Amino acid sequence: MSEAELDQMAAEVAAQLRCPVCRNQSVLESSSGLAREMQSVVRDRLAAGETPEEVRAYFVGRYGDWILLKPEPKGINLLVYLLPAAALLFGGVLLYYRIRRWTGATAPRPEEGLAGLETPDADPAPTEEARAAESTSPDANEGLSEEEEEWIRQQIGSLG
Amino acid sequence: MKRFSRWLIPILPIPALALLAFGLTRDVQVLPSAIVGEAAPEFHLETMDGDSLRLATLDAQVVVLNFWASWCIPCRQEHPALVRATEVYDESDVRVLGVLYQDTPEGAERFMARFGGEWETVLDPGTRTAIDFGVYGVPETFFIDGDRRIAYKHIGPLSWEILQTKVDSLLAGGGA
Repeated sequence: MSEAELDQMAAEVAAQLRCPVCRNQSVLESSSGLAREMQSVVRDRLAAGETPEEVRAYFVGRYGDWILLKPEPKGINLLVYLLPAAALLFGGVLLYYRIRRWTGATAPRPEEGLAGLETPDADPAPTEEARAAESTSPDANEGLSEEEEEWIRQQIGSLG
Repeated sequence: MKRFSRWLIPILPIPALALLAFGLTRDVQVLPSAIVGEAAPEFHLETMDGDSLRLATLDAQVVVLNFWASWCIPCRQEHPALVRATEVYDESDVRVLGVLYQDTPEGAERFMARFGGEWETVLDPGTRTAIDFGVYGVPETFFIDGDRRIAYKHIGPLSWEILQTKVDSLLAGGGA
């Protein structure tokens, strides 16, 4: 392994380790004294022939799983990975049933189909002729009271 | 479904809230230690006087291994407890040993001259021994039993009461 490859591998491992001083920074990013020493421990162990997994295991053995920025997906840590997916799935199923219920309350029942929208005694839509006849029909003002009719006549008279 | 969801939906956030409450009430300063209960990592270091020292060659029943630095203010606070331990306990029972953490021997000498204390401190070049012990910062103290197993780890400044309690329980043969 060349020096450049070793540096690259050491940087990859250091990026996965949490700095014990800064806590939210990786050992690679942190400039604290301890993080810098940890970086050189990582490099020395890799140079001595350890695999990246073995180097990580060394730090986990000293500091616990806490030292890994990304927890191993095992044991109680699985919750971190599975819970969001489970919650999403549950929410989706819940939403599916809710929406089915909401739409089911207003939409026609499936067996009635589109025919269900037409009630037998519904008035057919008026034709063009019927509407034209209606507007000229003498009965068109049948809704007015006698007083209103008188008032309209007076207005027409005053115009003349 | 209706009856099921009427109960389920109000109950569902309870575990999530419980988890949140648990997380928020934990002390962020208390960090887990993977090393308590394990064999103490062996070290072979040089003392400030230039002697070579190995953990395995210490014959005291209990070793109080104290990681410290002269720049560390809480180390001054706990220093009297360590002084008292060397005065109260016989060296064949309890051996106090300092490990210098990211500090110069000159700084450590000035500190010991100023605050007193006769015990030895080993130098830890490259902080390798501190990392071997999973040290986060100073002061941190490890109580190592007769089988050279780490019985207890104390983060932060020690008080005499804590030191005495832990040491006495180890001398009595029990776990700390």
